[in-house]
Amino acid sequence: MAAAIDGVFPDTLQELVKKSKVLVVGAGGIGCEVLKNLVLSGFTDIEIIDLDTIDLSNLNRQFLFHREHVGKSKAKVARESALSFNPDAKITAYHDSVTSTDYGVTFFKKFDLVLSALDNRAARNHVNRMCLNADVPLIESGTAGYNGQVELIKRGLTQCYECTPKDKQRSFPGCTIRNTPSEPIHCIVWAKHLFNQLFGESLEDEDISPDAADPDAKEKDEAGGDAEPKADGEEKEKAEESKEEKEEESKEEKDGKEATANGNVVRINTRQWAKDCNYDAGKLFNKFFNEDITYLLRMSNLWKTRKAPVPVQWDNLLPDGSSGDQKDVAKQHHKVWSIEECGHVFANALKELSASFLKLEGEDTLAWDKDDQPAMDFVAACANVRSHIFNIERKSRFEIKSMAGNIIPAIATTNAITAGISVMRAFKVLEAKWEQCKAVYARLRPNARNHFLVPDASLPGPNPNCYVCASDPAITLKIDTKRLRIRELRDEVLVKTLNMLNPDVTVQSNGSILISSEEGETECNEGKLLSELNIVDGVILKCDDFFQNYELSIIISHFDAERDQTLFEVVADASQLKPKEEEQKKEAAEEEEKEEEQKTAKKRSANGEGDSKDDGPSTSKRSRPTEVDDEDDDDCLVIEEDEDEADVVVVATDKLSVQSPPKVGSKRKPSEVIEDEDITEILDSSDDEPAGPTKSKRSRLDESLSNPVEVISID
Amino acid sequence: MGVEMDTKEAAVELTEAENELYDRQIRLWGLESQKRLRTAKILIAGLCGLGAEITKNIILSGVNSVKLLDNKPVTEADFCSQFLAARESLNTNRAEASLVRARALNPMVDISADREPLKEKTAEFFDQFDVVVVNGETNEELLRIDTICRELGVKFIATDVWGTFGFYFASLQKHSYVEDVIKHKIVSNPDKKKKYETVSIPTQREVDYPAYSVWLDFDITAPSYLRKLKRNGPGVLLLSVLQKFRSTHQRDPNYKTRAADLKLLRGIRDELLPNSALSDEALGTIFAQISPAVAVVGGVVAQEVIKVVTKMEAPHRNLFVFDPETCAGYFETIEAK
Repeated sequence: MAAAIDGVFPDTLQELVKKSKVLVVGAGGIGCEVLKNLVLSGFTDIEIIDLDTIDLSNLNRQFLFHREHVGKSKAKVARESALSFNPDAKITAYHDSVTSTDYGVTFFKKFDLVLSALDNRAARNHVNRMCLNADVPLIESGTAGYNGQVELIKRGLTQCYECTPKDKQRSFPGCTIRNTPSEPIHCIVWAKHLFNQLFGESLEDEDISPDAADPDAKEKDEAGGDAEPKADGEEKEKAEESKEEKEEESKEEKDGKEATANGNVVRINTRQWAKDCNYDAGKLFNKFFNEDITYLLRMSNLWKTRKAPVPVQWDNLLPDGSSGDQKDVAKQHHKVWSIEECGHVFANALKELSASFLKLEGEDTLAWDKDDQPAMDFVAACANVRSHIFNIERKSRFEIKSMAGNIIPAIATTNAITAGISVMRAFKVLEAKWEQCKAVYARLRPNARNHFLVPDASLPGPNPNCYVCASDPAITLKIDTKRLRIRELRDEVLVKTLNMLNPDVTVQSNGSILISSEEGETECNEGKLLSELNIVDGVILKCDDFFQNYELSIIISHFDAERDQTLFEVVADASQLKPKEEEQKKEAAEEEEKEEEQKTAKKRSANGEGDSKDDGPSTSKRSRPTEVDDEDDDDCLVIEEDEDEADVVVVATDKLSVQSPPKVGSKRKPSEVIEDEDITEILDSSDDEPAGPTKSKRSRLDESLSNPVEVISID
Repeated sequence: MGVEMDTKEAAVELTEAENELYDRQIRLWGLESQKRLRTAKILIAGLCGLGAEITKNIILSGVNSVKLLDNKPVTEADFCSQFLAARESLNTNRAEASLVRARALNPMVDISADREPLKEKTAEFFDQFDVVVVNGETNEELLRIDTICRELGVKFIATDVWGTFGFYFASLQKHSYVEDVIKHKIVSNPDKKKKYETVSIPTQREVDYPAYSVWLDFDITAPSYLRKLKRNGPGVLLLSVLQKFRSTHQRDPNYKTRAADLKLLRGIRDELLPNSALSDEALGTIFAQISPAVAVVGGVVAQEVIKVVTKMEAPHRNLFVFDPETCAGYFETIEAK
């Protein structure tokens, strides 16, 4: 209530604080701190919105909440607690999603300032667009572990949140997951896919069986010119054999596939087979960890350069009568279980999961949730057995949970510091001292100049090619028009990737409506391929999201996607569309540049100008952390380096890697690491609800419709 | 961590409840650190807004006990940032007024209040703690406590916020800690692009942190220091002016006598360092304690306490300054000549 006491603030600031109306988006780690700072500073007109409820694991930092509040609305409890600090404040709390249509541009226009303390990118993108539209300054903030950042977004003056491409989720080629895992994460992803194959929503790109079409398994005879491949007869025979089997398998798969109403393919064979076996632990174990591995071993080319996997037999694993007394193994979260212990955990989890699965009605399935004990046990056990088979280091359940659940560590101090800087910036914004609103980064370790709360050197202006804040924004969409359907164009490209809520799409040349925001109006188009509707190379689409007041032109650029390649890629800047060779040359040049930079850095420290050991934020675009998510929520993935994108030097001093903005769009077809969602989206809505039994989920279509709401889980 | 550390504290396992509550931070600093925190006993002297912020963060981290020490009453100015004291507690003892809300932050931490004057506390008292954090005291008193703490081997941090400006000085004596040293390995494949791999190697270090007296003896007008002062802004100079004001007038500048105190401050500034970069405008933002700035400094100080207790990562050595104009937070290394 500083502003209520004369003489504390300089006069002008005192008046501004007293009369300003502010919106806080998110009542999580940063939001709680921001709200406290606002009421104590003397802001009296505050609104706060958060759709989340309080979880026990929030209490180590979200200090407005206590044990008795677990399960209650974050926004409402935060309001109550903050009012006790300053009973004179007027706070309106909304237990709701900020992307709900109740909060349109008119809503945002009420405020002098918006402070965003969100934990996921989809909601951030949305708030960014709303603030740009309403022309309200936005102070955007985020933390992850020891790292935090605060930046001002103001229309026409600064970069918007979407001016710089954001890091993509790390993803792995399907054959790495299915055939040749080499890291624990590969086995964890596989184990989650296995869960889905048995009990969850089964996705086409989440196959767990050996992939006989792995290019690595084929003879590499092209390189040898006309020389015969050096494989001996036996191997050739095997290759033949596997080819046959492949054909057989794909036939089998075809039979086993069943198109559902929403057009997705559900593989019922593994699931049905497991059910027919009554979920017999031994039978299932032997199929996944013995027979399938034996099959993989026959693809001998795979094991010429790799260490071959060693199948495990259920019967060899468990000496008679040893089950039962090891029930508590699963509770030892920090211990690395032995293979025998993994077997026990597997059997117990299987028992529990199959029981809950069989209780479900109709087409319902279980949803994997890191906080659901048997689901997590199952993944930890299966991942470790597979790691053992492939001679990969095994991990504790605790560590596997981090990786499988994308948990971002979070502490009170970073949140307090970041929120403090947010509100310090709010003062400058009210005073319209824009030049003093440079972004600030908080780091664990100091930079070479001994700064660890580091303001940016400049306030970067808007990116003229930004596909959100530029006038007449346009993007190029590289897309396989022969394989992608209109429904996927809407759900995967426009909604999930470009973060629109409910777009209308017309073809520019003739004005025909391709996708309508009116329910049912263009339903007949949904199942059609783009090429069938003559959406081919060179066509320009006009997209309009009424609610976000956002229009975007999309220039279609067709390409034939290869195996394991994504079917589309958004290119925000048309100049990025270049022949491949040129691109590679450029990358090589950048790499040299990088080495140069490293050398210079070393020289600098040798010259005694300080030790540049840190990952302290630099102003260079390359190492500028483009994204830090507000802690907590689990589903924001720690941004990791795609191992093939080696043109980035990761200089991490703590557990979060910070890296340069990557190219938009991933070149490989992913079986995504963790969720099949965009990096920060929240799908496994574990923190939306108190821990409970594994929830059931309906069809995929439902899910994608409800996504924009679920996603806005705010920490 | 892979490095030998004294593990007397680490013997006891965390309970399931602790594992759940501290999950998100254990994932950052590890189980060992959490176990060390659980044994730590902390003194916070001075329950102004800054004291409240530090207290909050320390309690949330899950230390063993926190003692809140203050003999002053809650004032109107406290409502600018001291959120642990309720409005109704005006004029009652500040430490005691903070107890209820402090305890609600984390029922697993033992929290007590002490209303005796800090001046009367002797070595026996300070010996109970692992880390002593003092704010709002004069240089003379800070010097006395530092001397006691150094004799006892207790880690000492002096800190303050005036308005939106803040600092701390860490007198940690010989402090050993482990830090992950990140090395870049270039994994070269002749036929492929270069790959970089980072390897983190836990490394044990021991660093000596000088006494508070070194700061008092430090000459900010020394020509050798002027260049640095220019580069980092006038923070250190402002700190000297404010500490001088406090020892001269035995109080801090007060918003009720804003104009008169600003005049006094300008006088001290011109006497200490004529023609300095310290603007009148900067002097106008040092009244009471402003919540967001206190949150930043309180967050930084608490993080330093956590580093000290967990013996993980290097505490900044040794004078921290928060510049409210730019929101830069940096440290100066102040050493004996």
